[in-house]
Amino acid sequence: MDVFLQVVVNGLLLGGLFAITSVGLTLIFGIVKVVNFAHGEFLMIGMYATFLITTRLGMHPYAAVAAVVPLLFVLGMMTQKFLIEPLMSARNHDIQIFATVGLSTALINLALLLFGADIATTPAYGLRTAVEVGPVRMLVGQIVMFGVAAALVIGLHLFLQRTQAGRGIRAVAQNRAAAQLMGINVSRVYMITFGLGAACVGLAATLVAPLYPTSPGIGTYFVLTAFVVVVLGGLGSIGGAFLGAMIIGLIDSLAGFYIGSDMREVAVFGVFLLILILRPQGLFGGRQTLSHVS
Amino acid sequence: MKLTHLLKTTVAAGALLGAQAAYADVTFGALYPFSGQLALLGEESARGLELAVDEINVAGGVQGEQVVLERGDAVDNNQAIGEARRLISREGVKAIFGTYSSSRSIAASQVAELSGIPYFELGAVADEVTGRGLKYLFRVNPTAEDMAATIIDMIVDKVGPMNDKAPEDLKIGIIYEDSSYGTSVSGHEQAMAKEAGLNVVTSQAYPASTVDLSSVVLDLKQRGVDVVLQTSYQNDSVLFLQQAHEAGFQPLAIIGGGGGYSTQPTADAVGHDIIDGVLDTDFTQYIVNKDFTPGIDDFLAAYDAKYGGEPRSGHSLTNYVGAMAILTALNEADGFEPDTIIETVSAIDIPEGTTAAGYGVKFGENNQNERARMMGLQWQDGKLVTVYPDDAAAAEMRIKN
Repeated sequence: MDVFLQVVVNGLLLGGLFAITSVGLTLIFGIVKVVNFAHGEFLMIGMYATFLITTRLGMHPYAAVAAVVPLLFVLGMMTQKFLIEPLMSARNHDIQIFATVGLSTALINLALLLFGADIATTPAYGLRTAVEVGPVRMLVGQIVMFGVAAALVIGLHLFLQRTQAGRGIRAVAQNRAAAQLMGINVSRVYMITFGLGAACVGLAATLVAPLYPTSPGIGTYFVLTAFVVVVLGGLGSIGGAFLGAMIIGLIDSLAGFYIGSDMREVAVFGVFLLILILRPQGLFGGRQTLSHVS
Repeated sequence: MKLTHLLKTTVAAGALLGAQAAYADVTFGALYPFSGQLALLGEESARGLELAVDEINVAGGVQGEQVVLERGDAVDNNQAIGEARRLISREGVKAIFGTYSSSRSIAASQVAELSGIPYFELGAVADEVTGRGLKYLFRVNPTAEDMAATIIDMIVDKVGPMNDKAPEDLKIGIIYEDSSYGTSVSGHEQAMAKEAGLNVVTSQAYPASTVDLSSVVLDLKQRGVDVVLQTSYQNDSVLFLQQAHEAGFQPLAIIGGGGGYSTQPTADAVGHDIIDGVLDTDFTQYIVNKDFTPGIDDFLAAYDAKYGGEPRSGHSLTNYVGAMAILTALNEADGFEPDTIIETVSAIDIPEGTTAAGYGVKFGENNQNERARMMGLQWQDGKLVTVYPDDAAAAEMRIKN
């Protein structure tokens, strides 16, 4: 029983990691309707920024939030403004995918040039310390990550539902042309959304960096699961992404222990396919909109 | 008159050609990943070859000719093939040295084989490099199979006796990343463990890009595994060692293999206190019994003079030893015809304990150096120290508690 509890807790904490790394993607994927393959590299940039701030300035990784989140927000806005927007009028929307793949490769190689292929370790400041709650062991950093992921999801939900800017963003997601006719500056909404998505990745980076060593390829470790989580939860659904992350985390952990480590991915992707067959729009996805056809 | 003129021209031309031959350099290819993800250790490997060439050139070159290296950048498999073609057809290299990465080596050596140009592998470990029966490919460095052999020998000779356990009483757990590297090393481990009478209780694969090994750790802990064997890259090595520590899992020994376990950044990331006592197998490293590895100090001095500082891994040493063995042999040959080269190299016979890497050189089946072997290492006080075999050990192996 104790072992089962530990496995479940491991799964939920892993879900917290998946949630925090995919919330940003669901904003960009669900609202700007851009498949951002550079998502993982945004995380990598955030992690290197956290690494530099902690090692050079001797600051706690969580204090790096103040610098990393704005940095990623600007980076996201610039990506939208200078890379995605010029391609929005392209006849074939797949071109945007190739653009983000190109951005991803360019960023990885830039990091290789600047930092080399070796791993860079952000000081953990006690975040890797294990605490025991009853029979279960957890890391301080994992608990914080889980809490922040939950708070971020609730915060973003309230922002999208209750504020004027949030309503604007949802309107654009539902129907770009109609939103434009209602006087919403679509280009600006896209920029803000992309920036917000990237800023969420920045927040994730400061939480992930003390737990995982940074390397130029680190983004690829997280990006596939992030896409799975986002599709599973339903495009653009923040709560769905959180739930999706928990499901994937639990299956990963349970299958890894009870079936065998080699079968983890079979189990995860098997359940993923099954859910998509039963609910093609994802767990929380609404009716498919044709907003990208403007 | 006409005849004299013709003669004169011929003589002049002949003299010119002769002069050119006498002063010509001999060009070899240096095919490594110099850019991209593998650049760090690709470059480190190439440095070993360059140091060998420098030493040979100072001593008068090969057959009186100075050796010139033409670099080829094997950034991926396709480019490895393209660069091998360029080296052979445009640069006219007499042989290619390489390659660090097994997949690049397998791709590029195919090209060399078809062109009938000798290919000397100095650093790639996969079985398939020499397993394909190529005529012009020779490998000097130890292989994945040698890695598994050293690990199993170390358990039987050291880990068992030091913990007062017979081989059959040790519960062995094997975990490995699921690409061809992890699969082949762990396959050998399982077969050899069975042969040695060890009790392998579980064998598990995981993707190298995993971000969580807690379920694997928990499983090993539940099974009461005494010795964990992990074949891994860097991130998954760090992840496993950290998560094992955090879950309070303390087996008698953890034994890793290769790059992931051997580099200083791994120790720094895991924490020197946590990695202390962890065992590893790899190419010859620098904290070693220097009577067993004569010339290693000269190598380190030459390295420091040329590149500044200490080598970042054992790859440069392994490449240096391989290249020295080949180039020294070629000096005794007559010409650089491919068949002359392979005939000369096939006859190499260097005994153990006389090279800077410790092992000797003699090519056996499939042109694999059958004297090559890996060393057993242990992290002691933040340093990677050679502890096995005894004649190469710089310190005693320590056990936990």
